[in-house]
Amino acid sequence: MESGLTSLLSVSIDFETSHLFFPRIIHWLMGGLFALVLALNVVPFLAAVRRGERTLPILGESMDKFRFFGTLALIAAYFYLMDVVGNLFPYTGYGFLFVSVVFVFLMSLMYMHTRTKRKVVTAAINAIVAPSLAWFILAKLFQITLP
Amino acid sequence: MLDMLSLLDITFFLLAALGALVGIIFGAIPGMTATMAVAVCLPLTYALGLHHGLALLLGLYVGGISGGMVPAVLLNIPGTPSSITTTFDGYPMAQRGEGERALRVCVVASVVGGLISAAVLFLFAPLLAEFSIKFSYVEKFLIILLALTVIASMSRNMLVGIFSGVLGIWLSLIGTYSISDGGNGKTRLMFDFLEPYLFEGFSLLPVLIGIFGIATILLEAEAGVKSGLSDKEIKIGKGGGFSMGLFRGRLTNLVRSSFIGTFVGMLPGVGGSAASVLAYTQEKNLSRDSSEMGKGAPQGLIASESANNALTGGALIPLLSLGIPGDSTTAVLIGAFTLQGIQVGPLFIPENHDTWYVMMTALVFANIVMFFLMFYAIKHIAKVVLVPKYILYPLIVMMCVVGAYAINYGIMFDVWTLLIFGVLGYLIQKVGLEVAPLIIGFILGGQAEIYFVKSLESFGTFSIFFTKSPIAMVLWGLIAASVAFSVVMGLKSRAKRRLEAA
Repeated sequence: MESGLTSLLSVSIDFETSHLFFPRIIHWLMGGLFALVLALNVVPFLAAVRRGERTLPILGESMDKFRFFGTLALIAAYFYLMDVVGNLFPYTGYGFLFVSVVFVFLMSLMYMHTRTKRKVVTAAINAIVAPSLAWFILAKLFQITLP
Repeated sequence: MLDMLSLLDITFFLLAALGALVGIIFGAIPGMTATMAVAVCLPLTYALGLHHGLALLLGLYVGGISGGMVPAVLLNIPGTPSSITTTFDGYPMAQRGEGERALRVCVVASVVGGLISAAVLFLFAPLLAEFSIKFSYVEKFLIILLALTVIASMSRNMLVGIFSGVLGIWLSLIGTYSISDGGNGKTRLMFDFLEPYLFEGFSLLPVLIGIFGIATILLEAEAGVKSGLSDKEIKIGKGGGFSMGLFRGRLTNLVRSSFIGTFVGMLPGVGGSAASVLAYTQEKNLSRDSSEMGKGAPQGLIASESANNALTGGALIPLLSLGIPGDSTTAVLIGAFTLQGIQVGPLFIPENHDTWYVMMTALVFANIVMFFLMFYAIKHIAKVVLVPKYILYPLIVMMCVVGAYAINYGIMFDVWTLLIFGVLGYLIQKVGLEVAPLIIGFILGGQAEIYFVKSLESFGTFSIFFTKSPIAMVLWGLIAASVAFSVVMGLKSRAKRRLEAA
């Protein structure tokens, strides 16, 4: 019996495939835990949803669709264009500077609930000053690489 | 010692003070946390040397935790999760026109909590490091396992907590099994076409900045980015009314809460709210007269704020002695250390004596600066809760980008990592998974693999994890205890709920 247990616990790891050894254990663990979570948490939760006691996350909740998807779209465009514009002026950080000004202004406009002239002007000044300051301090003074 | 003094110059103290100020501002803005302050200001440290960078980061950390009291007292909104219990007594006081008095009580309690925990850190971390220096791979693996179990058992639901932790480990395994750590240098868990981007896996800091920065913005955007508050809603009240006499007879409370905060801070991955809630309930149970608590009693503020500031020193203990972050802010700090070429762990303190003393100086100094800034300028600082979010949020996204892009000297994929993990962080919080275990799993996953596989390669049997040394057995005992604790607590709260339902 003793030797049976010892041989059961003994293991040898082939160096060639040793990069898969730990991930395989993690996969099994994740699979097992996922099944447990599914059985103990998700299924009762879904049952409560069906009875109308709870609502589904994200899908069943009220959300500000315009601002949420607007934020996602703006951020994606910001990241993409920063690189594109940055390649036009390599090693200057202008890509970051120019695109940031536009991005900060648009995002400010989107997050405003009421647009008064004063607010828009504040946002515009902020959109020009803040990225310029960040660009100057980081790229010029500290020589940090920017797109 | 003299060497160390030469490292402290004017810039060092200015940076610590600047960090504390910026941290306070971040903390004071609802929805923004100390973690975010550290993450957003990281790019500034790239250009600074190690010691200057540390001064700034520790200032941010202390300031960020403290700043949370401002909206808690004035607006009934905890600025950071850990100031939740400050709202219970702070807001009623502000309603009575005693806002400034309440804030000053908080400030004094905070600085005491911060300094006590710094003292504990100073005495305890080197001891723990010396002890853990003898750990072999087996014990190191078990320490990580213990850390993850403790975090998971502190989660709302242990099963979900463990699952989140394992998910974090899985994410950390993407990339190569690094040759420099004794692996075979092959990639796994990805498609071939991703190899140019993910050869070394996801970088730690972009992941953290994404989860704590971008995800927060997405959550706010979903809620519609509520418009700012008007001047009228803030009742700071007239000055005066504060005297040290408020602390008479409260010394026990102050010291007890500080130690509770320090201890909770030491437990890996346990957020600040646990510390202040525990200190608050203890004060409620143990104090002679707790009838006024919740209606505006300074004793509640003392318990809450001293505990939440004591977290700072506590959370640094496992970070510096074991290399395991005590909370999400120290998780970001671990990234900043790595960036400066420092490996935190048992060898950190013995091998970097100067840095260790410099850190302690920065921590104590940041606490003192925080005290003076907040005690005398609280009226002006309180106004930052009025900064409109439409100005603030775009700037935060911008700083996140700088932080992620510059970290590996200009890799665009790191910026996309921000978005990937921003969205992931949003989804995780939406479906009810836990962020803290996931992050700790992500940070420690890589090391866990090395320790685990190397242990098995050298001993050739799984049983080694149980029989290697007495320490290993003690660690297993602690792991079992934390699981048992969680199960018992779970059953208790279930029974309570059933009782309430009946």
